[in-house]
Amino acid sequence: MSGPLLHVETVSLRFGGVQALEAVSFRLGKGELLGLIGPNGAGKTTLLRVITGLLRPSAGSVSLAGLEITALASHQRTHLGLALSQQLVRPFRAMSALDNVALAAGHRRTRRPIMAMLNRDRTAERDEARRLLALLGIEDAADARPDTLPLGVLKRVEMARALALEPAVLLLDEPLAGLNHLEAGRLADTIKDLNGQGLSIVLIEHNLGEVLRICDRLVVLDNGRKIADAAPRAVIADPAVRAAYLGAEDDDAAA
Amino acid sequence: MGAYEITLLTSVGIAVTAALGLNLITGFCGQISLGHAAFYGIGAYCAAMLTKAGVSFAPALMAGGLLAAAVGVAVGFASLRVRHDFLAITTMGVGFLFLGVVRQQDVLGGELGLSSIPDPGLGKTGFMALCLASAGLAALFTTLIKRSWMGFAFDSIADDEDTARLLGINVPVYKLIAFGIGTALAGWAGGLYAHQVRFIFPDSFGFVESIAMLTMVVVGGVGSVLGVAIAAALLTLAPQWFQVIADYKLLVYGALLLLAMRFLPQGLAGLARRLRGAAP
Amino acid sequence: MLALELFVQGLIQGSVYALIAVGLTLVYGLLRILHVAHAGIFTLGGYIGVLVTNGADSLALALIAAMAGGGLLGMAIYRLIYEPILRQPPYVALIASIGLYIAIEEVFRLIFGPYGLTYSDPPLQSTIQILGMNLKWAELTMMAAAVVLIGGLALLAAKTRTGLAWRASVTRPRMAESFGVDVVRVRYLNFFVGSALAAAAGVLVALLNNLVEPTMGTVPAYKALAIIVLGGLGNVRGTLVAALSLGVIEAFGTIYLGKILDRDAIAFAFLIVVLMVRPQGLFGRA
Repeated sequence: MSGPLLHVETVSLRFGGVQALEAVSFRLGKGELLGLIGPNGAGKTTLLRVITGLLRPSAGSVSLAGLEITALASHQRTHLGLALSQQLVRPFRAMSALDNVALAAGHRRTRRPIMAMLNRDRTAERDEARRLLALLGIEDAADARPDTLPLGVLKRVEMARALALEPAVLLLDEPLAGLNHLEAGRLADTIKDLNGQGLSIVLIEHNLGEVLRICDRLVVLDNGRKIADAAPRAVIADPAVRAAYLGAEDDDAAA
Repeated sequence: MGAYEITLLTSVGIAVTAALGLNLITGFCGQISLGHAAFYGIGAYCAAMLTKAGVSFAPALMAGGLLAAAVGVAVGFASLRVRHDFLAITTMGVGFLFLGVVRQQDVLGGELGLSSIPDPGLGKTGFMALCLASAGLAALFTTLIKRSWMGFAFDSIADDEDTARLLGINVPVYKLIAFGIGTALAGWAGGLYAHQVRFIFPDSFGFVESIAMLTMVVVGGVGSVLGVAIAAALLTLAPQWFQVIADYKLLVYGALLLLAMRFLPQGLAGLARRLRGAAP
Repeated sequence: MLALELFVQGLIQGSVYALIAVGLTLVYGLLRILHVAHAGIFTLGGYIGVLVTNGADSLALALIAAMAGGGLLGMAIYRLIYEPILRQPPYVALIASIGLYIAIEEVFRLIFGPYGLTYSDPPLQSTIQILGMNLKWAELTMMAAAVVLIGGLALLAAKTRTGLAWRASVTRPRMAESFGVDVVRVRYLNFFVGSALAAAAGVLVALLNNLVEPTMGTVPAYKALAIIVLGGLGNVRGTLVAALSLGVIEAFGTIYLGKILDRDAIAFAFLIVVLMVRPQGLFGRA
């Protein structure tokens, strides 16, 4: 296969009167770790929701490994190898953290309802879930109900769930938020490791220090438009990026 | 066992079967339905029309279940469009629509209903055994589903269907399956009911009956097969016990519903959990 | 001529629906509860109306007594039943409400008998000719009362501080709370006013039919649910339009579709068609 693994082509989206995304394009190569950054409200999360099919773009297309997926439902995109770790965590509240991940790990079993009905054994999926929780350093939370867990742990449950889908492309929406400095550094290392093992990743993150440390390339959004797409050092030196960030520095200082 | 007890147990078997069907839709998959009695009615009318036309009992029952499931899947499509309270009212509307259609059809006996439905020829005890076996099989079947990966997927849909989609679960298909199986059980139970009483009319399948079924599910504890089966049995027997207080029986029924929800909102299953003193 | 007459009959029935449904949609907007027992308050209003009119020979007094009694019962229902279970899933309150409705219906049956009560000397039964139609004064009163009461409510909501707090609590509950609106007081007010309107509808329906019976609330109970869904749950203006439209559609539908569907089924067929096209109701926000 040649060409990009994930290709977003001139995607536009309007909410009511607001232009949330305007002709945004970018490519993600196989094995790449791409940082998607920009001030609050720039349209980063919206773009990920378009890629995963939670939102339909008003124009433009999304392709995965050369296959156009713009018209597919979310679950079909998941089957094709897209996984999203959401910014606002949404664990299933009636399940343990472990089962949250195990359900995702069983994506092959739940894919065909008939097979789902005929299979009961969850051992392998629970083992896999436990391994992923351990990878992200939260194995102690396995049997806890999501209601009892702090945000930092829930963010990692969310990420473990996405990893359990065995994606070709992993979309991470602010996985480091809610973690302390040490934990954030460690999780960023884990993300880099996963990428090193061949996983292609799009990372939205406000923690610019970690983004600059681990990403191969950055795409910058501002007001729904792409304003930069280059290596991290070049992006930081870009006057347009500086202007966008300076205008929103107050917001970002807190993030 | 006297004839009276046999009749009671027959009714219990039928009610448990129908309620477990609703439990699959509402309890497992989280899709509230206020029109379950319509599917019970579809099964009853279909099976009764067939046996009256000379078809034998077993295929008539199956046809009743299948027809109910077919309509159930159609209504399931509604659940793909509307959610939560809107779905509750839509399914209530389906119930009234069913009544409205049946009442105006002379073929179905209109307001007067269908009478002289043939005796299935199993004898009172045999028929009771059939109904109890249906209930037992429904309990076994739904328990197996709950413990399977399908039940796991249902849990996630009931919890947060948007997130379930992101985890690769084909939410629409799962919902349609829940509606299909749940309404098939209702239709099967309806066919049994028609051949128990051998006289059916539209009002047996009205809103009150739908609510009575939902009450069995909620009082039993949404999603709990054992709880719902017990609640269905108790709520079927209760009005019989209340015969002593004949004139006050509906008042007591209404008050019990109210008090159960006010003080025991998690149902019998919730009560059992509390008594065991542990979260599941 | 038939068309006009059907239209007016539809509006009269629509006014009944509107008076009942407004309170129901307000409760939904505030608490997300499908308050079936609301129809029990409608029944209570009817009984108080007949009893007071027969006893004190004053329809006006009967209306006031019914509205006060209905309003108080509404507040009591909120305090004793809904408030403690607000955090439970919505079907818990729904079933509690249905249980309460059944109990209320039974109380009336046990006290006053299954056949109901009539006015000993029914007021406003004389007719008047308007545009070639014979209309009872009771029917005109029904429509006038709906306009006055709902208009008054709209005025209260638009012009007073309380009204502002109320509207804010229905549309933006979190924001209202953070602006210091006393949410609990708003809820009591909401139940009082909504229930008073339903009770007034009960008095007026009793007047139209010269009969109150224990089951008089059953049809309005579920019909009003359909109406508030059509109106876009919690949307008062949408509810009014839906109530009047449904009254008119039923009036025409019974004539033209009566052979296939009965009156109630027409209402729900309309509901289902609308929801499949617009899942958020006619006037709901997407």
